Amino acid sequence: MIEGILVEGLIYGIMVLGVFITFRILDFPDLTVDGSFPLGAAIIAILITRGYNVWLAMFIALSGGILSGVVTAVIHNKLKIPSLLAGILTMTMLYSINIRVLGNRANLPLLRQETILTRVTALWSGFLPSEYATLLFFIIVLVIIWTLFMLFFHTDLGLTLGALGNNEQMVITQGVNPETLKIIGVGIANGLVAVSGAFTAQYQGFADIGLGQGIIISGLASVMIGEFLIKSNRIGLLAIRAILGSILFKGIMYAGRYYGYYINLTPNDLKLITGILIILSLVLTKFRNIGMKKRMLS
Amino acid sequence: MKKLIIFSTVFLSILALMTVAVASGEKEAVESNVIGISKIVSHPALDAAEQGIQDELADLGYDFEYDLQNANGEVSTAASIANKFKSENVRIAVGIATPTAQALANALEDIVVVYTLVTDPVDAGLVDSYDRGGVNITGVSDMTPVKDQIEFLNRIKKLDSLGHVYSSGEANAVRLAEMAREACREMGIEFIEATVTNSAEVKQATQAIINRVDGIYVSTDNTVVSALSALTEVAMEHGVPVMSADPSSAESFDVLAAWGFDYYKMGRVTGRMIADIIEGAKPEEIPTKFMTDPSDIDLLINLDVAKKLGLTFPQDYIDSASKIVENGELKKK
Repeated sequence: MIEGILVEGLIYGIMVLGVFITFRILDFPDLTVDGSFPLGAAIIAILITRGYNVWLAMFIALSGGILSGVVTAVIHNKLKIPSLLAGILTMTMLYSINIRVLGNRANLPLLRQETILTRVTALWSGFLPSEYATLLFFIIVLVIIWTLFMLFFHTDLGLTLGALGNNEQMVITQGVNPETLKIIGVGIANGLVAVSGAFTAQYQGFADIGLGQGIIISGLASVMIGEFLIKSNRIGLLAIRAILGSILFKGIMYAGRYYGYYINLTPNDLKLITGILIILSLVLTKFRNIGMKKRMLS
Repeated sequence: MKKLIIFSTVFLSILALMTVAVASGEKEAVESNVIGISKIVSHPALDAAEQGIQDELADLGYDFEYDLQNANGEVSTAASIANKFKSENVRIAVGIATPTAQALANALEDIVVVYTLVTDPVDAGLVDSYDRGGVNITGVSDMTPVKDQIEFLNRIKKLDSLGHVYSSGEANAVRLAEMAREACREMGIEFIEATVTNSAEVKQATQAIINRVDGIYVSTDNTVVSALSALTEVAMEHGVPVMSADPSSAESFDVLAAWGFDYYKMGRVTGRMIADIIEGAKPEEIPTKFMTDPSDIDLLINLDVAKKLGLTFPQDYIDSASKIVENGELKKK
């Protein structure tokens, strides 16, 4: 049970990092996610079924995600349309592309196929039950991703990217083209999202065209919950809190499913809960910030 | 740094509390006989099947508790529900529709999974063959007799071309469309298709093909069936007959004929299968059940629509119909 929450929280945590990059660092609200998440799942599923190496398949899924992010950024840059609309456009186009990738199907099973997860659990089967092997694997994956994330945002490019969301004019006066930065940032973000989708397909045993449903909203909820948990402006902590937010979001959703019936809550109400949760985190974070400002002033 | 430590402590203790609470809940679940039912979305067909399962088991004298879960259309939630059933150690997990059944089959190794409303369980990777179940998994298919349905319509009105509107996002619908295409090819009928991604697009999709078709076939496609009224409206305006695979939704809309099974009955059949497994039958030895029994199948014909379109039913169809709509009234036999 708890390992289920943690594993799901970690898998979706990769996606939340992507959402965090676009929404918070770049200030580029990006809805491509609802399309790039199932894109990652579709790519990994079709390649595994066709017998390709799983790591190669993961790499292609990552590239597919990056490409879809780049498309969104280019549409936004070149046509001067708002980022939201650019994201919706790419997401819509990805629906058709995802069906093509899946081989003109809506759903492709991975049951009884060899995936990264079956390999890992087989490898560690001697000393770890499969649930914990999966958990350990994802902890390692997240540590690697977190380290890369940290290293990237300490490079010159990463630092400039961080500045972009705060003050685009400053970036321009530094002689950097913000359009290029957006392409890189949104690309990386969607690459992470596609990787998360690819792991999800392997974890749940199939890829489905409907996999993107509700992904962006759960990503946003996780980012907001994370912000409520920890206040910081250091990039490493910001990344950790996004991942923690993802785990806690999954935990709250589980709790809703488990104990909801005590207060007459049905699974149909969980979407309402998600919305309220986001609003609540926003309000609480806001009040805390106001409180801090007052203390600093007095 | 201090804040981080405080927050991590709070965070970890919340998780720990949840584990303890859930662990105590787990023990309860082992003793109480819980049947977990996971459906992908709340929809008349899926809800009817869910109800049928419970009614059948109640009629057979079982007193189970039910954990009714619904993924609200989010495929990604299907895995969470499977995890929940796993930690509760449910007696039997039922997956309604393809993605939920796949998620259960993937997560539950020691718990019997019964799938229902899965059109093609082999294509969905749930079992290896139609002749037998898999290890700890078997179920009921909602494969509908596509070819027979098209032949039925062809006998009432000679078709040169058949239109089919289906949802590209539903595994079941895509599989049925493939079969319809195949059936039309065999019968020498031109097959004209239009796909939709949600129920709001059904009307437009129908309008796009209506002038090129002699009849329209609607499969057990949840999305299209939800918007059946939009489809029949366009079809009636253009004098095109509609043949549907879902008799229950056809009762209230202008469908010429509907021939298929009732999802409630399908739930009942699933319930009977669950009872067999509880009584000791091995899932491996139970083949996927198809709804082919004459008592499972309903034929609805609408004489009012036939009259408006200037068509007549052969007498044997009228005799075998279990539901007849005439002068605005529904008569059940």
